[in-house]
Amino acid sequence: MTSSNGLPIVVIACKVFQSQLERLMPENMAQDITFLDYGLHRVPDQLTVAVQETIDSIEKPSLIMLAYGLCGNGLRGIKSGQHTLIIPRTDDCIAILLGSRKKYIQEFEATPGTYYLTKGWLESGSNPLQEYNEYKEKYGEKDAAWIMDQQYKHYERLAFVAHTRNDIEKYRPQAQEVAKYCEQWGFRYEEILGSDSYIQRLIEVATKLDQADKEFVVIPPNRETTQAMFMR
Amino acid sequence: MSEKIFEKLSTAVLEGDSGTSVETTQKGLDEGLSAGDILHSGLIVGMNEVGVRFKRGDMFVPEVLMSAEAMSEGMKLLRPLLAKSGVKMAGKIVMGTVKGDLHDIGKNLVSMMCEGAGFEIVNIGFDAAPEKFIEAIKEHQPNIVGMSAMLTTTMRAMGHTIKAIEEAGLRDTVDVMVGGAPVDQEFADRIGADGYGANAPASADLAKELVGIA
Repeated sequence: MTSSNGLPIVVIACKVFQSQLERLMPENMAQDITFLDYGLHRVPDQLTVAVQETIDSIEKPSLIMLAYGLCGNGLRGIKSGQHTLIIPRTDDCIAILLGSRKKYIQEFEATPGTYYLTKGWLESGSNPLQEYNEYKEKYGEKDAAWIMDQQYKHYERLAFVAHTRNDIEKYRPQAQEVAKYCEQWGFRYEEILGSDSYIQRLIEVATKLDQADKEFVVIPPNRETTQAMFMR
Repeated sequence: MSEKIFEKLSTAVLEGDSGTSVETTQKGLDEGLSAGDILHSGLIVGMNEVGVRFKRGDMFVPEVLMSAEAMSEGMKLLRPLLAKSGVKMAGKIVMGTVKGDLHDIGKNLVSMMCEGAGFEIVNIGFDAAPEKFIEAIKEHQPNIVGMSAMLTTTMRAMGHTIKAIEEAGLRDTVDVMVGGAPVDQEFADRIGADGYGANAPASADLAKELVGIA
């Protein structure tokens, strides 16, 4: 399958979208898919390097679908080189997981202090409970508890986002275990059924680039992404 | 001798060792070193290196937190002495994390570095709405307003806050400096800030520059 401009489609995505993409992408849509590690956003400069290296390793001029947001500026300064890039125009994965930027803003305005949890974060161990256990190993119990306190004491809510009822059921015990740990800061626990609509649109416009609207950033060859492009 | 103490202090901060930081600060004072020298040649040198390593990805948030704590503990001993030394204050800064943002680690770190540079800090906390900044400006009449945001989603609130300060007719009375993980010079220019601090030490330098003592 190629894009409407005749280019082969290549996907570079954060692992957080792996199950959604595997479920939703038409077979043979992409020449190649690379899933990059979840944790890269913690050091945005490293995310930039990882994404750029993956782009630069693609030999044939392609339409590259980047399943990322601005991600703490990790996607700023990405050079398209010989390729064309399409990227959701959003701050981070949360809007994509929830289905739209509008939904994200609603959630954000209702409870700014939300820690989002996905099955990917649970599996990869990127959640406060796991973080505490890692710190405990490295810094000892007392320092670990202090570090966690510094980072999370102002949060109010733990929101577990999944895209099927099945996943919610399946991962609930793990999510609740994290929730229980976070009760010390008064977190409340909520489950949100995510929506596929944003990622579905991304897949669609990757094949029909002329349909890309303000929800997407499109970068022609030999250009570079900027922070401002993701703002609206 | 003093070199050894300074080195021990900067290492204590770098390693996030509060005990050694306090102990060595006290030792320095006992040996007759000035509070200002201990701060600038010891604690702040360590914290500057923390900034460099964090940016490079060689240090992570927990370590930075412990380093900040080590500096803060040393600062506690120095603060009363710095105040007493009769050095004229560099100016006053109202500092806060903007609306919707609950992250105050960076903001507190910048506050501490600015304090080290001789500024009086009015810390208005986190999730501070534009009205809160405006009230604080009216009440404290600072030279500078410092705004922090940790997320690209919340850094927009910096622009809204500057606008609100303008509308309140107070924009000419203060300089605005901004900072935080996602902020860069281009963004700072776009929202009409007077300066951007890339990290805590750079923010303290910027503050000095803004009041014309750099």
